[in-house]
Amino acid sequence: MQKAFGRKKVILMFLLPALIVYILFVVVSVVWAGFYSFFDWSGVGEKTFIGIQNYVQLMQDATFWATVGHTLAYTVICVLIQVFGGLLFAIFLTRLTKGRALLQTLYYVPVVISSVAICQIFSKLLSVTPIGVINAVLSIFHADLATMEWISNGEVSLYVAAFVEGYKYLGLYMVIFYAALIGVPKDLEEAAIVDGANVIQQYWRVKIPYIKPVIISNCILVLNGSLRSFDISYLLTKGGPGNASELMSTYMYKQAFSSMKYGYGSAIAMVIVIICMVVGFTFRRVTERGETA
Amino acid sequence: MKMKKLTALLLAGVMVMSAALTGCGSGDSGSGSEKDSGGQAGERKKITVLLRSSETSAKYIILKKLLTEFSEENGLEEPEFELVSGDADYVTKLQLYINSNSLPDIYGCANGALSAAAKDIDAMVNVGDELERIGMKDDMNSAVYDFFTDADDGNVYLFPESLNCEFFFYRKDIFDKYDLEAPKDWDEFLAVCKTLKEKGEIPVVVAGKENWQLMRYLSFAPWRMTKDGFIKGYMEGTETFSDNIAAKSGAELLHTMGTEEYFQGGFLSTDYTAATDLFFGGTGCMWYSGSGQITQASEMYEAGELGFFAVPDVKGEDNMDTNVPIHGGFGTAFNAQTYDDTMKECFQYICENYSEACYKEAKVFSPFNDEMPEGLDSLFYDLYPMFETATDAWVSWDDKLDSATLTSLVDEQQKLAQGSETPEEFEKAADSFITK
Repeated sequence: MQKAFGRKKVILMFLLPALIVYILFVVVSVVWAGFYSFFDWSGVGEKTFIGIQNYVQLMQDATFWATVGHTLAYTVICVLIQVFGGLLFAIFLTRLTKGRALLQTLYYVPVVISSVAICQIFSKLLSVTPIGVINAVLSIFHADLATMEWISNGEVSLYVAAFVEGYKYLGLYMVIFYAALIGVPKDLEEAAIVDGANVIQQYWRVKIPYIKPVIISNCILVLNGSLRSFDISYLLTKGGPGNASELMSTYMYKQAFSSMKYGYGSAIAMVIVIICMVVGFTFRRVTERGETA
Repeated sequence: MKMKKLTALLLAGVMVMSAALTGCGSGDSGSGSEKDSGGQAGERKKITVLLRSSETSAKYIILKKLLTEFSEENGLEEPEFELVSGDADYVTKLQLYINSNSLPDIYGCANGALSAAAKDIDAMVNVGDELERIGMKDDMNSAVYDFFTDADDGNVYLFPESLNCEFFFYRKDIFDKYDLEAPKDWDEFLAVCKTLKEKGEIPVVVAGKENWQLMRYLSFAPWRMTKDGFIKGYMEGTETFSDNIAAKSGAELLHTMGTEEYFQGGFLSTDYTAATDLFFGGTGCMWYSGSGQITQASEMYEAGELGFFAVPDVKGEDNMDTNVPIHGGFGTAFNAQTYDDTMKECFQYICENYSEACYKEAKVFSPFNDEMPEGLDSLFYDLYPMFETATDAWVSWDDKLDSATLTSLVDEQQKLAQGSETPEEFEKAADSFITK
């Protein structure tokens, strides 16, 4: 049996179905988008070949570069909330002896609730007219906070959207970290205690370094997810007001489907793919270097 | 070993063949469904419909009733409805159908790139000609007919959803309390807003999340002063926001409304449903809405708490006579490729019974000039004189502007309303979209 699993053909047999699906649904789509990016096309009717004109326009598009900045800020907030917040929550969970399962379930609930519902809930919570729960509570401390605009204020709408995204997926990463933390061998913990380590030192010196590969994997997952993030920003703020919370993906969607500039939208999609790959590889390289050092 | 390879090759061949045949089979079934609905080949079995609508929308209610009745009378199967409520989703769906040349018998379509593409593949019946054929062209409200006139060839390819007239609802009780009168021009309107604001009221409720609601404030003045003159000139590059008095006036109005806080707090995140609930729930003093909300408004109107007024004039300028925006909603097209004798009969049946379905089922104004039945909410009878003789339709910028300009303008109008952009900056940005 073991011999069979070692044979190339058998390995290929197991890998091939997934590879075919991946090629069909991801690679072909990317290549197709790349093809469309060389055309001026409204999505219907005739396509006009315009070479790299869409890319030239994209390089000069100030709104697009603003969305790149927004996406990076959005990603940083999401990494902070989902990875570090998730890790913190997981650590707290490991310290609990009672009610852990209940809390774990409660924290996980937003993950299974659809983005539409989450955005609706936050729209109501953050509402100004009629006053939502958050402003009502804040107004206890300062009356002006009753009229604080969260979603429709260009200065904070991006951060609010990032917070909601972070909140939604925090539970998912918390569960992964929790599983990793309880998988840390007991003898390592005991050895640390014998060496006189306090609780913080046990985590900081022993457990967190032990689960470093999980932290890196989660960081990559969150990085990629946030760079391509679409639903929360689109549903909550529609990228607005103006373009204040516009992300690369919502801008791509608007260009392709609202402005009906499929070619230009495809060019943006290609740049998103490239940015995701560059960020992903760079992050991997940096963390690999850290591992070898 | 060779035998094994041969068998493997044979099996692979069989798989490829079966996959190919499955593909052919599905192609067959596709054309079969075309046969089911269309009149290109074979006998029609049912009528297929694609609508940008929900199950509570007037359009669906009307067509569902009429097409079901027609199908029953003509021995057809139940009509097949496909409903898509989201704008962007609907556009994507329609593009898919146009590109694959497989549009249903009846489909919703807005004037613009999509209707042009549908015309290119000969999938739009000339509704004007058809109305003429059945002798009902003159029965349709002139303004509604005008609304759907194609800018390229002057024909009408879209059938109206209903007659929609837009106006401001206002809280009579609050106006009486502060001794205010319904404004006649925009200066009076802003003065009323100022007074209400000073009294601690919310002057105007607006659904700022919906593109069209803020765009109305931008386009009121250009419409009253130029009808479609400005927007056509803007698209052609002969008019600019920076130079046109009407357009400048519109930009100034929206900026003032937003920055003076005459709209409710957080207005940019309020959608139409929420704004409706706010106003009819007792928040705010004015709300730009229309005949589509008669049902919600009736109770307050009967109690004497609500009044209505038309779009104010631009003071000191020439304003056209029509002051109530009238339009036919999101148009409906009939697919010319499947427009057989049954569909011709169906069209006639729809037209002849449309008014009854509008008033009795959907509670909206009919686009035909038929007499209104008795027993409707009194708002129906009180609103009717406002548009009875109107001949000029509303000029919807959403339809006139190309998608790219519209999307950019929507972003800019939000900045303008929120005050993060001055009217001058807005005008400059809006003008740059055309030179681009």
